[in-house]
Amino acid sequence: MEKTEKKRVLVVEDDEDVITYLSLWLSDQGFDVDVARDGNEASEKVKQRPPDLVTLDIVMPQKTGVKFYKEFKRDPRYAHIPVIIITGLQQEFKRFISHRRTAPPPEGYIAKPFSQEELLETIRRVMGEAQTLSREEKRKGNCA
Amino acid sequence: MMDATLQAWLHTQLFEQVPVSIAIIDRNFVIVEHNRNFEELFGPGRGRKCHTVYKKQAGTCDACIAALSFQDGKVRVNDEVGVDRNGHPAHYLVHMIPIVTPQGDIPYIIEMSTDITEIKRLQREYQVLFEKVPCYIAVLNRDYRIVKANELMRETFGATTGQYCWEVFKRRADRCEDCPAELAFSDGQTHVCEQEGINKQGEKTRYVVHAAPLSRTDDSVTHVMEMAVDVTRIYQLEQEKLEAERLAAVGQTVAGLAHGIKNILTGLHGGMYIFKSGLDRGDQGRIQQGWQMLDRNIEKISTLTRNLLSFSKGKIPEIQLVRPSDIVQEVVELYRDAARQQDVELRAEIDSQLAPAPFDPEGLHTCLANLVANAIDACQMSERPSCAVTVRCREQSEVIFLEVEDQGCGMDYDIKQKVFTNFFTTKGEGGTGIGLLLTRKIIQEHGGKLEVDSSPGKGSLFRMIFPRSRLPKPAPRPESPPDTEARPSEETRQG
Repeated sequence: MEKTEKKRVLVVEDDEDVITYLSLWLSDQGFDVDVARDGNEASEKVKQRPPDLVTLDIVMPQKTGVKFYKEFKRDPRYAHIPVIIITGLQQEFKRFISHRRTAPPPEGYIAKPFSQEELLETIRRVMGEAQTLSREEKRKGNCA
Repeated sequence: MMDATLQAWLHTQLFEQVPVSIAIIDRNFVIVEHNRNFEELFGPGRGRKCHTVYKKQAGTCDACIAALSFQDGKVRVNDEVGVDRNGHPAHYLVHMIPIVTPQGDIPYIIEMSTDITEIKRLQREYQVLFEKVPCYIAVLNRDYRIVKANELMRETFGATTGQYCWEVFKRRADRCEDCPAELAFSDGQTHVCEQEGINKQGEKTRYVVHAAPLSRTDDSVTHVMEMAVDVTRIYQLEQEKLEAERLAAVGQTVAGLAHGIKNILTGLHGGMYIFKSGLDRGDQGRIQQGWQMLDRNIEKISTLTRNLLSFSKGKIPEIQLVRPSDIVQEVVELYRDAARQQDVELRAEIDSQLAPAPFDPEGLHTCLANLVANAIDACQMSERPSCAVTVRCREQSEVIFLEVEDQGCGMDYDIKQKVFTNFFTTKGEGGTGIGLLLTRKIIQEHGGKLEVDSSPGKGSLFRMIFPRSRLPKPAPRPESPPDTEARPSEETRQG
């Protein structure tokens, strides 16, 4: 991680224990953490300040993770921001969310209960890809 | 004295006008005279041998009835098959009346034939219909003895005429308690019911029987025709489907369980991490926070386990005839105060005509209580200033509907999809999500289903649907204490 600029993670989750766990653990890993307790709050937070990564639960009151994810990924301002879905829902849901026509598949999918190693590895992978993508986009932008 | 005109008419016209075929034959079996009706049926016959005209055959008939009447002078009636003028078979009923002279001679016989070809055709059709129709048919007299049974009935039940219907259908020694034929005899109406019999192989057979009254006159029912359609296979499929639904519920329960446990495990992992990292850093705040999280999640898993035990205990539903409206009333009374304290108006809309039905009253109470509690919670999460929950019970076309409608926060599509498939809760710390699963399990044990209609911000309608035909049968009340097969209660087994 670059010391000068901490990456920001938006944790979208409604379970208080999971929020506490993810927030502390991500902070310990050197991230800045922001929390949204449902899809509506997440949309607001993203609008105020787009994060570098979103971890997203699915089953939440008000606006669910599925709805938030669809809107988020269809918005060209945020489509490049990686999303890791962290949910207790089973494999059927992974297939469902990965094959939707209305939105691209999520960059990461982690089933609860997750191991810290698995989550860290997934974060590194998706952030690495996002950085590559970002550079690629910039390069394309410059050419144009 | 008869009027001369009438007498003249009788002599000249009657012969031609009567609606039967008349021919007069002599002792040589030659037709000496016939009327127009005869000619229309058999063709012209004057001067010809009767067998050539009636039957279009050269030789005399094997058993000639006319010959007998020429011998003994008796009137005879016979059912004959001949050939009509177009060469088609003709059934006719012939009356042979010898003309006897004062000297006792019999020079002629008058043969009066009625064409019954159409009646015979209908008889054959009826016979085919009766014998070959793919259902059981038995005609019973007032003693409940079978006077006629069709082919399928004979093949399946080994029915023979003269036996009592209960002997044949059910291998019983005495009359059945719920006899549709008895009702048909008493009120002259058709009665329908589903019955279980035993076929001649000793196998159980389910059939839907229509008992229709038969009478020669309009005023009294002399016989009842029982027509039964075999539904054994359909019944088996229905039972298999119910079983499959129960198994599916078990499968979904296990899936839901796994989801519930995953969340708690995540909480425990989190607690462990925070506690350990607190120890590593000597951070008392973290140690405290981690400890509390561990404590909370251990409590959660204890609650879940307790709920699961009551869920999976395998409590056998105690089915008895109850008024669903009484249970609705009970639940509404139970929750009214709690609802009022939360500014929720709890209402009951009850169809007082609803007949009793076989339910496990405790199970139904649990279902309604869960749905009402959920509805009150949904109202609390609503942004409306005031909110109402309505509990309804009604019946339509033999289907009982129990509904709980709220004006609460409602659910969107994704939540609706998951409501019954997971230990799903939107109540944060407050719920384990087991209520709806338990509700659905109980409903399925009653052969019913649960539907939900909901839209965010408007409210939800949970509808329990119980077709009467699928409700379980009330358990017979044992007169003696339960035998050793009765399961001991959980407490007894543990104790």
